[in-house]
Amino acid sequence: MATEPLLKCEHVTVSAGGRKLVEDVSLTLPRGQLVALIGPNGAGKTTLLRAILKLIKYDGRIEVNGRIGYVPQRLQYDRTLPMTVLEFMALTLQKRPVAFGVAGRVKARVQELLESVGAARLARSMIGGLSGGELQRVMLASALQDQPELLLLDEPAAGVDIEGEATFTELILHQVREHNTTVVLVSHDLSVVSDITDQVVCLNRTLKCVGSAKDLLTAETIAEVFGGHKAVYGHHHHH
Amino acid sequence: MFDVISNYFTNDWQALILVSVVCACLTTGVLSPIVVSSRLAFFSDAVAHSTLAGVALGLLLSLDNPLTLMVGVAIVVALIIASLRQVTTLGLDTLLGVAMAGSLAAGLLMYHAAEKGYAGLHNYLFGQVALLGPTDMWALVLCAVVAVVVGARWGNRFFLLAVSRPLAQARGVPVARYEFLLIVLLGLVVSLSVRAVGLLLVNALLIVPAATSRNLARSVRGMFWGSLGVALFAGLCGLFVGDYLLLPPAPAIVVVAVLLFIVSQALRPLLGHHVAEA
Repeated sequence: MATEPLLKCEHVTVSAGGRKLVEDVSLTLPRGQLVALIGPNGAGKTTLLRAILKLIKYDGRIEVNGRIGYVPQRLQYDRTLPMTVLEFMALTLQKRPVAFGVAGRVKARVQELLESVGAARLARSMIGGLSGGELQRVMLASALQDQPELLLLDEPAAGVDIEGEATFTELILHQVREHNTTVVLVSHDLSVVSDITDQVVCLNRTLKCVGSAKDLLTAETIAEVFGGHKAVYGHHHHH
Repeated sequence: MFDVISNYFTNDWQALILVSVVCACLTTGVLSPIVVSSRLAFFSDAVAHSTLAGVALGLLLSLDNPLTLMVGVAIVVALIIASLRQVTTLGLDTLLGVAMAGSLAAGLLMYHAAEKGYAGLHNYLFGQVALLGPTDMWALVLCAVVAVVVGARWGNRFFLLAVSRPLAQARGVPVARYEFLLIVLLGLVVSLSVRAVGLLLVNALLIVPAATSRNLARSVRGMFWGSLGVALFAGLCGLFVGDYLLLPPAPAIVVVAVLLFIVSQALRPLLGHHVAEA
């Protein structure tokens, strides 16, 4: 069964209020790849993710042969809530109410997860006080707790690295290479596409193109996906 | 003062009051962090007011103890609000305003129809600890057991929901089901405690303890135990001191809780808890 694809979407269509947000998307992703899902704002990228996560109704077929981890886009949350990062992660790791304390084995597991994303020192911090980069790492650590085989990162913010730690890109690459995870970076911004991207998927309601970064990022395909107003970033051609 | 306190342990009738107050405070102390974190403060207020309609209906039907009707009406109103919330685009505050106005008006009309005047109404508004019977006490014991069991079993889910609904949803938590559970639980607890502490004050007890502990806590654990401590301390202190000074217990309890809140607010800057602004 090693050859069975990790994710298989067949003719996926999502409609809301008589409008098709995502139309007839067919897509197959193997294991252990770094995938960039790009498209302009309102192209249906988050909608497609929500369909893959089975959070919304869709037509067509979506088959996922593995566990999914999900890091949502710019999480809005109650920053005044007194809750430590350790407690936040423990909410989904233990049955015992976190109000009664975090179990020893859960503490160790949380520490291990935080270390794996270069955020070991954040366990005792309050979630309300985290910077953008720190929050993103905590969310990533939280998404990694079930050892997902498919990791969906919705609009990972660029330039939010923590000083002295591995960059976010390095962490992602580690997941792909060491754990054979397929990571999907979703963005309206072409900068998520880099030399290490295995596959680029362009979405603008319908699937516009699928292929390797080198082949796809030509002026014509960008123009087709983004409507012809976006300049291609120079660094994509430095191969 | 010592005599006042010891009477609660020797006199059966006063022991009943003590158990009732402790159970009401235990219940609200446990639920308060969840209510405040889930921003359901106004919700419990609306449900508390709807119990008046239950009382009026009880009078209209000439029932001796309207407890069952109060609980029934509160849960029905809670469920209506919860269902409307799923289908309407109106804000929760607007829905609650409509529900509160509607149930209060319906209640007052039924009072009028029952030709009882509003004489007994203040018992339900301000609580009448002295009128508590064994049924009320057992209702409050049940409340405390339910609150503790639900908090222990599903507390983590409620807190995950309180952090972020979309995140909880993405984690596979059946969000709507948990919101329903919480709302029904609150309807039950509020309506069962109304007779003891009064509806204006049950809401205070659901909000002030966690509001106080949030001011000082840096963790869920701190907030939870702080809330429970504030609720129980306010309950016992209000009951005993109120009795000693010949004051009605329910408002005395809330005054103690609010004083603790003021102290926590004053202490907050000293502890240097500066949470980043969103």
